[in-house]
Amino acid sequence: MVATLLRLKYTVVAHQLQREWWRALLLIGGAVWSLTLIPLVWWAQTWLGFQPADVRTTIVVILATVCVVGWWVVPLMVTGLEDTLDPGKFATWGVKARTLLPGLTASAFLTVPALFFMIVFLVLSRGWRYDEPAAQVVAVIGAVLTVAVMVVGARVCVAWSTRAVNNRRSRTLLFLSIGLAVVMVGVAGWAFLRDGLEAGLETTVPVAGEWLARTPIGAGVAAPGAWVAGDITGAVWRLVLMAATLVLLMWAWKRAIAYTLTHPVYRGGGRRRRTDAVLTRASDAEPAWWRADAPTRAVRARLLISWATDARYIVNAVGVAALPVVFFVLVMPILELDPRWGFAAPVLLASSIGWGRHNDVALDSTALWMDIVSGKHGRAVMHGRLQAVAVWAVPAVLLAAIGVLAWTGRWADAPGLVGATLGTLGVTLGISALSSVALPYRAAAPGESPFGAEVGSLGASVAAQLVSSIATLMVLPLVTVPFILSLTVHAGWGWMALVTGVAMGVAGLWGGASAAGSLYNRRTGALIGAVS
Amino acid sequence: MSTPTPALELRGLRKRFGATEAVAGIDLTIPTHSFYGVVGPNGAGKTTTLSMATGLLTPDSGQALVHGIDLWAEPARAKPLVGVLPDGLHTFDRLTGSELISYAGLMRGMAKETVRERRDDLLAALDLDSAGSTLVTDFSAGMTKKIALACALVHAPRVLVLDEPFEAVDPVSAGAIRRILQAFVASGGTVIMSSHVMALVERLCDHVAVVGGGRILAAGTLDDVRAGQDLEDRFVGLVGDTSDQRDLSWLRHSSD
Repeated sequence: MVATLLRLKYTVVAHQLQREWWRALLLIGGAVWSLTLIPLVWWAQTWLGFQPADVRTTIVVILATVCVVGWWVVPLMVTGLEDTLDPGKFATWGVKARTLLPGLTASAFLTVPALFFMIVFLVLSRGWRYDEPAAQVVAVIGAVLTVAVMVVGARVCVAWSTRAVNNRRSRTLLFLSIGLAVVMVGVAGWAFLRDGLEAGLETTVPVAGEWLARTPIGAGVAAPGAWVAGDITGAVWRLVLMAATLVLLMWAWKRAIAYTLTHPVYRGGGRRRRTDAVLTRASDAEPAWWRADAPTRAVRARLLISWATDARYIVNAVGVAALPVVFFVLVMPILELDPRWGFAAPVLLASSIGWGRHNDVALDSTALWMDIVSGKHGRAVMHGRLQAVAVWAVPAVLLAAIGVLAWTGRWADAPGLVGATLGTLGVTLGISALSSVALPYRAAAPGESPFGAEVGSLGASVAAQLVSSIATLMVLPLVTVPFILSLTVHAGWGWMALVTGVAMGVAGLWGGASAAGSLYNRRTGALIGAVS
Repeated sequence: MSTPTPALELRGLRKRFGATEAVAGIDLTIPTHSFYGVVGPNGAGKTTTLSMATGLLTPDSGQALVHGIDLWAEPARAKPLVGVLPDGLHTFDRLTGSELISYAGLMRGMAKETVRERRDDLLAALDLDSAGSTLVTDFSAGMTKKIALACALVHAPRVLVLDEPFEAVDPVSAGAIRRILQAFVASGGTVIMSSHVMALVERLCDHVAVVGGGRILAAGTLDDVRAGQDLEDRFVGLVGDTSDQRDLSWLRHSSD
């Protein structure tokens, strides 16, 4: 079964590459780039070898922590990275989870990133070569176990999160725990930087390292340090802890696979809605000058339902907070930036929301036909989609702006910040609207794992993401210039920033939606093919 | 007397996907007030043709005229005349049955009150009352077909283009759909439907076109196409039977 599954995986990849050869370039490029990093790692292990054992341990423990947390969290934040075989597709074969597990495990390890991290940690374990040979053996075992915990843990995280976001009750729990994790990262960052960066490096990091070395995150790479220090028991129980964690994760993954095989996620879970949310939300009650035509209101109503219930949209809405939060609680204190830099957080949130919509149309891949056969509705579709985003995004960025203003106490900067934030939101949403019609790529279909991507869709997404990111980065300075001038040159620019920001935001949103709508009308006969 | 404008006229439609020529030049005239069956083996190009005729897939060349209006040149005028039920069962399946019909109605630019009335009528006529508050994703295949048909009907189109409307539908529901479609044709509408079930086509349609290899092999009134034969025999005669009729002896369970 292992060989069968591996063959299946590589056949799928090969077919994809045959159809779109430029994806092979990206794949090879990624592999080559990873390989060029190996000499750097080699140099690092040479340098590590000359460090005292305790320093060495602290460094590798911190590195392992970053890698493990990255492996577990990044696939949840950046959707579309996960390309392992989806266990749900084996449901009709009548195979047991136990039969599938070895093959799925092997295919999870035989990916470029997994192999890369395995090599990195094995190379780093050479840092113990100047100590007794037994320590080197312990280091190799610890390294292998650590990478295994990384890779299998990532599978478990994705499986559990997929399950959680598809269930309303556990979704709340999931978001609460994400919120808790953010607070913990914030507290940790604050504790680390309370006394400045250098003091933090000298005192907090070794203490944190010592604690992490007792957890399944850092224990594996800390084991050789314990061995060298003469703490044989310490080394052994750390390796046992890692092995036990791996067994536990494998068991959890097997359970997750078994669950997936018998619980297809594409079902709605028997949810019912008595009121017709489309008719009620597409209200006629708005004042006539503001009221959009019926198709626009219908699309807006449908998208508002999606934002409230569809896992793919919800995951995205939560994910946009990652960049501003990381900037605010980690980058700012580490670089000891002036509090005024805090104003970048709401702007970053706005651009994350805007950029996040760059493949919006593809999320409706399976049902796009309904909009297309109804008439020439490109503009209605795009305006409706953007309006639905604006309904929650405008309050969200304004709240973030107010929060930062309260934190800095610089209320005088409010007009400029509000202008810059709303301007950024509108303009980036406009760019994304254009990108989602001009460069759509296959996205997770309704009901599919919001974290998954079809094997090989990575290439198309890279192109679209690159173009939309560059366009966003080029436009951002234009929108924020008056605000930056208000902070650096003269406060009077603030009101100017408010006027230009709101004007550019509205123009960007409206213009982007209209232009994207016209393009949509021109591309109708090709859109379905581009997203499915 | 001049010939009336046909309900749907396909002129030289072509579509190529890479090396495969899915539709190799299709000309077809579907008279108004007809019940037109399009039959053909799997992969004959039926769905591709119907997609090009309804605005879902850009043809490489050729035209599709709905009551004389070029659909690809004037979609805003042509599309309101057409109701579409495409192949496959995918719709906005996170909406409930009622919401989906309302959505289709609003997308057709109808007033909210009209949408509400017709939604309730359609749910009742297609025996979907209980499904109105259930998410479409939890529907059975047959129910999904019926709700998609309701969406195609909500704006009272003049032409209905239906890809396999009876597939996966139980006999009771099929009866309901049949009655709706026959009444639609009787009142002056035009139905174009693709199907694999010859008996159904013979029973419902007055015209039929046989498609094979991306071309029209025969088209006209049912009697013309049948040419005195059973439609199924005529169909197999036109498209050719399976060449290798191998006996799967290993499939037999021996009783001893």
